[in-house]
This record gives sequence, C-alpha cells and structure tokens, in this order.
Amino acid sequence: MSFEPKIVGFLCQWCSYTGADLAGTSRIQYRPNIRVIRLMCSARVDPSFIAKSLADGADGVLVCGCHPGDCHYAEGNYKTMRRFPFLKKMLAAYGIEDERVRLEWVSASEGQRFADVVNDMTERIRLLGPSRVRSKLQTDKAER
Amino acid sequence: MHNSKIGVYLCNCGTNIAKIVDCPALREYAEALPNVVVSKEYKYMCSNPGQEMIIQDIKDHGLDRVVVAACSPRMHERTFRSAIQTAGLNPYMFEMANIREQCSWVHEDTWAATEKAKALTKAAVLRVLHHEPLERMSVKMCPSTLVIGGGIAGLTTALDLAEAGQQVYIVEKKDQLGGNLARVDLTAPYLDSARDLLTERITRVRENNKIEVMLNSQLKSLEGFVGNFVAAIQIQDGRPVAETKKLEVGNVVVCTGYKEFDAGRITHYGYGKLPNVITSFEFEKMLKAGRVETKEGRIPQYVAIIHCVGSRSQEFHGYCSRVCCMTALKYAHEIKSAIPKCYVSDVYIDMHAFGKGHEDFYKRTSEVKTLFLMYGKNERPVIRKADRGDDCEMLIEVNEKLSGEVIEIPADLVILMVGMEAREDSSEVARSVNISQDKEGWFIESHPKLDPVATTTDGIYIAGTCASPKDIPDTVAQARAAAARILGKIARGKIDVEAVYAEVNQDYCSGCRMCNELCPYSAIEYDEQKRRSKVISAVCKACGACVSSCPSGAIKGRHFTDRQIYAQIEGVLA
Repeated sequence: MSFEPKIVGFLCQWCSYTGADLAGTSRIQYRPNIRVIRLMCSARVDPSFIAKSLADGADGVLVCGCHPGDCHYAEGNYKTMRRFPFLKKMLAAYGIEDERVRLEWVSASEGQRFADVVNDMTERIRLLGPSRVRSKLQTDKAER
Repeated sequence: MHNSKIGVYLCNCGTNIAKIVDCPALREYAEALPNVVVSKEYKYMCSNPGQEMIIQDIKDHGLDRVVVAACSPRMHERTFRSAIQTAGLNPYMFEMANIREQCSWVHEDTWAATEKAKALTKAAVLRVLHHEPLERMSVKMCPSTLVIGGGIAGLTTALDLAEAGQQVYIVEKKDQLGGNLARVDLTAPYLDSARDLLTERITRVRENNKIEVMLNSQLKSLEGFVGNFVAAIQIQDGRPVAETKKLEVGNVVVCTGYKEFDAGRITHYGYGKLPNVITSFEFEKMLKAGRVETKEGRIPQYVAIIHCVGSRSQEFHGYCSRVCCMTALKYAHEIKSAIPKCYVSDVYIDMHAFGKGHEDFYKRTSEVKTLFLMYGKNERPVIRKADRGDDCEMLIEVNEKLSGEVIEIPADLVILMVGMEAREDSSEVARSVNISQDKEGWFIESHPKLDPVATTTDGIYIAGTCASPKDIPDTVAQARAAAARILGKIARGKIDVEAVYAEVNQDYCSGCRMCNELCPYSAIEYDEQKRRSKVISAVCKACGACVSSCPSGAIKGRHFTDRQIYAQIEGVLA
C-alpha cells in the first residue's frame, strides 16, 4: 500500500475552519489525510502542539489562520506570522524537513483554497515519506 | 474524570453522512473508546427525537459528558449544548466531531472517510474527558441596529425596527436611497409602479426620527461581538474630507443587493457593438421616460427579448436569476400597450413562472400574441445585422427546440435579460462583518432552510439579493424576518456570552508582563503590588495569544486548554 501521510491541521475557527466547512457545503473533494483541530485563533498554536503532533506520529502539521489584516482578533495572525519562523528554524535544527510544518492563510470564503492547500501538502509529504520523529523517539526509549 | 461516563451519538444526517461513512462500524468503534458507556447512531441527531434520546440517556445511564459526531459545530454545537443542559449537565461537558462538512462531504472513499471519522470521534472523546463545567456571563444588548444598504431590503428592515421604537442607522454607498429597485419602472406581475413602492418607504424612513440615514457612506470596520459592536462608518456626504463616525450597535443587517451581469461578456449578442441591442436596465430607463424607441429615434416594429443572459449557463452563472422571466413578460405587456402593432418575440430557455400570480401573468401575456421561442441551454441565439433589403435592423437565428427548426426572426430592438450577480465589493463587506460567501459570491445564511436570515456570525443578518437572486416579495419577507429576529433579541435585553476566556493562575505567574503587551484588547491588567497579571474576563475574547506565549504556563485558555488540545492530538493520530 502506498504511504498515506497523517496531517494534523490547527485551524482558527473564524476564517480557516469556516473555510474548511465551506469546502464541505460546496462538496469540494480533497485528500482525506488531514485531521482538523479547531482553535479560536492561529495565535493559540503553542509550539508544543506542533512538537506533540510530530512526536505522536504526524507526518505533517498545517496551521491555518485568517489572511493578514483579516484576523477576528485584529492581529493574532500577525503574531503567528512572526512566531512561525522561529519555530521553523528550531525544527530545521533538529532535522525536521521544512515542508512538514506549514502555515497558510485561508479565509472563510476560500473553501477551494483550503482543499488545494490540503491536496498540495498531502502530495508533498507523500514525496518526503514518513516522518521519523515518532519512530526515533520510540527507539531512543527502547535503547535507554 | 476516570469515573466519567460518556455517551457518543453518531448522526447519519439522512444519507449525508451515512452514504459515505460506515456508521455502524463507527458506532462500534466509539463504543470501545475509554469511558464510553453508550454509543448510538440515529438518522437526525439534531431532530427532537434525536435530542430526546441524548437527554433520556443522560438520565438513564448517568452520563456526565456527551460527544456528538455529526455536522460542523458551527451548525449545531449550540443545539446540543442546550439539550444536555436540559438534562441537567453543564453545556460545556460536550464536544462535537465534524464528520459531515469535513469528512463525508469532502471525501468519496468509504474506507478513508470512515477511518477519518473514527479519528475525529476519538479526538472528541479524549478531549471531552478533560472538559470542565463553565459558567456563562450575560452582557447587555445594545438596542441600536446598523443596516448596510438603502435598497428595498434595507429600508424595510429599518422601518420595522424603528417603528418598534429602536434606533437604526442606514449606511448607503450611493447618494440616494432606493437601490436597484429605483431603476425599475413597473413591477411584475401586478404592474404596480416601483417608484410608488419606494417613495412610500423612503418618505416613512425620512420622517422617522429613530432612523439616521448616512448617504455616500460605507462601513469601514466592525469590532466587538453580538450586542456590543462598534462600527466605524466613513461618511463622504457633502463633506470635502471624509469623516469617520463610530457607532455602537447591537446587530447588523447586510442588505447590499446585487449588480447586473455585464452583457458585453457574451460576445455574439453584439452588446456594445450593435446600437439597438440593450440590457433590461436600459429598457427600464426607456419605459420610465415613456418612450420605446430605437437609438435612431424610430418606433420599433419588431422587439425581441432574450432570456437568461449570464444566468443558467456553464460559462457564466449556473443559477437562475429568478426575476427575469416575469420581467420579460412585463416588457411584452408594456411594449404591446405602447405600440399595439409591434411584434414581440420572447426567446427563452424555460419559462420560470414560480411565484404567486406568475402563471396567470404568463397566460395573459401569451394571449396578447407574443411569439415564444425556446432555445437550448448551450445553443445561444445569434444576432446579426440585417441586410439592406430587409425591413428590420437585425436578424436573430434561433435553434427552436419545440419545433426542432432553425428559425430566423426580425428585430429592431433586442432586450437582453441580464441576470443578477454578487457585487464586486461583496467580499470586502463579507470580510468587514465576518460572514462567508459561496462560490458565486452570495452571502451564506446560517442554515439554507431553517435559518435563512441569520449568518454564522452572531448578530449579523442578511436580507435581499445580497444572499441570492430574489424578487421583491422574498426580499421584503427576509428583511422583515431579520427585523423580527433582532427585535426578539432586543426584547430580552441581554445576551449570554461564551464562558470561554483566559485566566491567569496567580501562583504560577512570574509577573513578566509578556502577555500584557500581546493582548489586542488590553484585557490583561498588571497588579503592581502583587506583581501579577490578571485577565479581565468580560473584555477577553479568548483568542489564546497570551496562553501560548506565557513562559510560566500560567495562563489557561478556558475550554481550549493545553490538556484538551493534547488529548485531541492523541485522538486524531490514534
């Protein structure tokens, strides 16, 4: 069987989660690899959410928020935008491929865009192959 | 928590979920999850019997937490929260798994969709184990309403609200009230004057001291939440420099209307090139001026009316614009009464005469000798200039479906029945009031059948053609429904706000004040004496920006705690 990546999505409930719902009401078909967790705002995404997702076996983590300027909380997405590069730098230092963790802006009216992002990310991670984070953690435990 | 008893309820949503997700397998899977004591599936969980089932089980099995796997929580979270509240549980001891919008409606493969539904259901079960009972606060409801758009919908909503004694602000982008209806002469099917309908409304609006009309104005931003919005209105009206006015409003009704399809986009109708090919709105202008004539000032001997211009086509808009068929019949009537000798042909795809009095009107029009020609959806008629010897300006070639023959009809004047489309600034409006649009740009209602007036944002309502093409009665009905909904909320005087907000654990707080600067609402105050930060819960909007930034982990985002999210992560990855 071909490798089916597991992707955890953290979506802000005002724009991106609503956009993902719109993909549903519009019956836009996309890859079933994403599992969505709803948050109030992308700024709620704690680095530990991403770390835990990878540690628990996610092959990719997608964070979606409102477009810059459209945040329900005025500037939450700007905070996410500024925090993200730090996290990416740290992940890179631990050998986690850049494409595994992705930040995208999806508005409430962009059902198609949400589907496109999920499809694109699924295919990219499929090419990368499974994440080694979880298995590494398990081996480490066993060897110690 | 370990003694918790969870009930899991799976909705088939008719066949919406059940035809893709293997619901019996999902039910069996859910039953084996930790702390689940009862797991059931039902045709419609949101129905009364569905809710009753949950309420009964809470009593019979002593459930203290409930999970419903069904549609989006944006649709029915509130429904189920109040159901479990009826059974005596705290409404927050509930979690929903979205297996419709984000599963059965977007995936075709049963195995993959069922696996995903299992993961989402498990995440909900693991999460709900960490839920805590929360108390809601109530805040006052500001009784003023903002109406965006001064067309027939906006005027009607405003009048109903103001005549019930409530303050209304109408923001109109143009320099006059009336909207698109002001461009219409008579209305179908009773041939009343549109001007009369509007003048009556506008006069009453102008005379009502509870209504403030702002012309040449638009909404710049809307902040706050239901009952407590602050709207910034940019007013240009007669001022050299635009002025920004801040208004406190409790609710907003969006009545921004539509724009007509640009007929020039269909090249082979020759609009913009053939001078006597005009749009329905240009013809309305002629009717209002009382002169039906060609560009050259001659009385037309042949008039052709072409339906579905931009509507019901694959290339442009798939939908029916609903008003054009009756408007076309109205034109046939008006032309016949102005120029009895004129030959009128009506070139249509299907005649949609769905409304009250419409079928009668269609019959009456057929009797005044209008030639009806039916064309196929994908075979548009072709208009060309007539030859020198012909006694007409143009010739229209129609592949007539009923006779199966290609027929050529003469025309001196061609009227294109242009459809309705979403306004180009509709996405700007959607963004500023935080509502959704469908793929055609129409605003989306909270529920297409059961709640066609509200939106998914509390306190924001939609009325008229900004939501979809509509005729006047439907527009007015929606406008009045919006007003009634708002009056109901004003009558209650207060609204319950979410019990979800951040709180600082005073024992863990180091007083670093990182969160103080991060909060966009200045909801976190610092106690200089205790050297601790504290969240003002009534001001907090629960975004969680402070929660994820606290170096001491001292801030808890109620109902979105780290523990709850971790449990969800474990669930979706199981």
